Amino acid sequence: MKALILVGGFGTRLRPLTLSVPKPLVEFANKPMILHQIEALKAVGVTEVVLAINYQPEVMLNFLKEFETKLGITITCSQETEPLGTAGPLALARDKLIDKSGEPFFVLNSDVISEYPFKEMIEFHKAYGGEASIMVTKVDEPSKYGVVVMEESTGQVDKFVEKPKLFVGNKINAGIYLLNPSVLDRIELRPTSIEKEVFPKIAAEKKLYAMVLPGFWMDIGQPRDYVTGLRLYLDSLRKKASTKLAAGSHIVGNVLVHETAKIGEGCLIGPDVAIGPGCVVESGVRLSRCTVMRGVRIKKHACISSSIVGWHSTIGQWARVENMTILGEDVHVCDEIYSNGGVVLPHKEIKSSILKPEIVM
Amino acid sequence: MGSSDGKVVAVIMAGGPTKGTRFRPLSLNIPKPLFPLAGQPMVHHPISACKRIPNLAQIYLVGFYEEREFTLYVSSISTELRVPVRYLKEDKPRGSAGGLYNFRDLIMEDNPSHIFLLNCDVCCSFPLPEMLEAHKRYGGMGTILVSKVSAESASQFGELVADPVTNELLHYTEKPETFVSDRINCGVYVFTPDIFTAIQGVSSQRKDRANLRRLSSFEALQSATRNPPSGFVRLDQDILTPFAGKKQLYTYETMDFWEQIKTPGMSLKCSALYLAQFRFTSPNLLASGDGTKNATIIGDVYIHPSAKVHPSAKIGPNVSISANARIGAGVRLISCIILDGVEIMENSVVVHAILGWKSSIGKWSRVQAEGDYNAKLGITILGEAVAVEDEVVVTNSIVLPNKTLNVSVQDEILL
Repeated sequence: MKALILVGGFGTRLRPLTLSVPKPLVEFANKPMILHQIEALKAVGVTEVVLAINYQPEVMLNFLKEFETKLGITITCSQETEPLGTAGPLALARDKLIDKSGEPFFVLNSDVISEYPFKEMIEFHKAYGGEASIMVTKVDEPSKYGVVVMEESTGQVDKFVEKPKLFVGNKINAGIYLLNPSVLDRIELRPTSIEKEVFPKIAAEKKLYAMVLPGFWMDIGQPRDYVTGLRLYLDSLRKKASTKLAAGSHIVGNVLVHETAKIGEGCLIGPDVAIGPGCVVESGVRLSRCTVMRGVRIKKHACISSSIVGWHSTIGQWARVENMTILGEDVHVCDEIYSNGGVVLPHKEIKSSILKPEIVM
Repeated sequence: MGSSDGKVVAVIMAGGPTKGTRFRPLSLNIPKPLFPLAGQPMVHHPISACKRIPNLAQIYLVGFYEEREFTLYVSSISTELRVPVRYLKEDKPRGSAGGLYNFRDLIMEDNPSHIFLLNCDVCCSFPLPEMLEAHKRYGGMGTILVSKVSAESASQFGELVADPVTNELLHYTEKPETFVSDRINCGVYVFTPDIFTAIQGVSSQRKDRANLRRLSSFEALQSATRNPPSGFVRLDQDILTPFAGKKQLYTYETMDFWEQIKTPGMSLKCSALYLAQFRFTSPNLLASGDGTKNATIIGDVYIHPSAKVHPSAKIGPNVSISANARIGAGVRLISCIILDGVEIMENSVVVHAILGWKSSIGKWSRVQAEGDYNAKLGITILGEAVAVEDEVVVTNSIVLPNKTLNVSVQDEILL
């Protein structure tokens, strides 16, 4: 089976992290974002994954070589020379997605994390016999997204409404599709939107079905949702009784600590924390609801909450970092500094406190 | 003192990518020394000034950037100006004087009698031949270019006091907290090779003191910045300050413009200063037009030969348009830098802004700022490939590369 992952553009919403690394390679729960999806695809028998990209192919290609061998799955890139929207890339990668088997192929939006119930989706697609099946997920605020209006009993999709002003439904497009090869005949090689142009046609022919996604869902393309997403992901790990989660008297709630990270005495870590490889957390540190990327050093008595600390940064003694502070690569927060929502670009030193959310270039 | 026919080597300090983050977001796409001012890369201006020095043998560009970032530029400027220019990459921070000392063998290869040291991000008229003449008359180890500034702004720089008759440097302080003088260090120097001996002296003195210091553990608690490692020699604090008043260092004052290009806002100001200078030194570089065959030009404007400007547009004052830009009908540009490949559609207005490479500005849109060169958001800056859609207004904002603006923004930084 084949799959296409829409990686797309520059990941500007995840800056400053994406100033150092292309978005699919930014780690989430200590694993590159895209690897979560590729591993789940491999688990249901996908043998080839095509990444639709239009940015930094060299960095991506190096990553792919490494993981192709580790995972035993073929990973190729399909590079857009102009942005092709959400459907155009499928036409561009057509030859890679169709083979004689006539099997359906997966299409995923690279920013989405969930439990990836791909096996259930394959069964759903077979059972309902549609031309295309999409995952939908229930949200509290549907007008932030594209709402899928569907017939609850039959699972048939009626129409799509983008960011509706009035309530039309609470199920939104989760960005996970399973498509028959015939869908490719509907897509021209030009900038095309799958929600606005392709799916509505299939829905009109009553051949589009929607499956409600079991478990959690999050679009982690921006920092606030990344932090929330980590909570959902770790929660899901806990439910599966995963041994990956950390345990100990200094751990509260769900915490992921890489095996090469070191944690000092008298710390309190959690809930909802991920600590990356090679990190050093000195004694007396409090961490909650945060992600600490590879190679970070957090000095004594510091306190971090609801923030992301970028690769190889350092947090000074008694520093307090909170409220969606996002530190890019190689940022050094001096001792005793306070950051309330500072967004700091790579290679900076923070010598004075940031009292209200601001961007530091 | 020294042979008057001796060769001269010029060293231009270019800085590096992790230093000077104040030049972001423009420095995210290009090394600061290559950012264009008045249509030419920033470093081009001191390099062409060096060309006027008699007996110039070699120009070295020294920085922390990767060599490949300067390969193309260095080879093309060497050919264009017919003087050898070479980029040297520093491997670790050694301070401004330490960096010079690090490359002394290369510098002394041509056996120069005099060595110029210039900071790449200085904007001035570079009166280098006159400075050299004055230096030879004074007969010291070095001569510093100085300028008079307002008393309030002087504390941002190195302040100095010079003897009004002999022009000897009597006193030098870097960024003092209290007022010392309104004469400041312009970051342009000429030395005799004795400077290397002086730097070595400072370096070994520091090594000796460091050895003594190891005996006291209390001293070890002091912060590293006050006691830099022995190989680290700063020109200002370690050479100028101690050698002042010893009849070794002299000053040469420039009455022309002088600015430092630390921020994108300042690059717009300095581009205007160089454009004004072109009017005297190379008026053929400036554009002209009256709206009949060519666009209407007001004041000092540079337009690259490959740029296309619609005749109904009105451009200037203080506008610089780079290669392959396309300016549509009825466009008004005031005080801005338009970089390579930018497309500006009909009837738009751009005032006090820098538009990044390959950006596009829609019809009837307006990209503007208040024009305060020193304020954080005083000049609107669009990074590489930013798209501003039709009729959108962007005011006092900074937009990082690859963003599309379909609603108006004001006073914002958009990552």
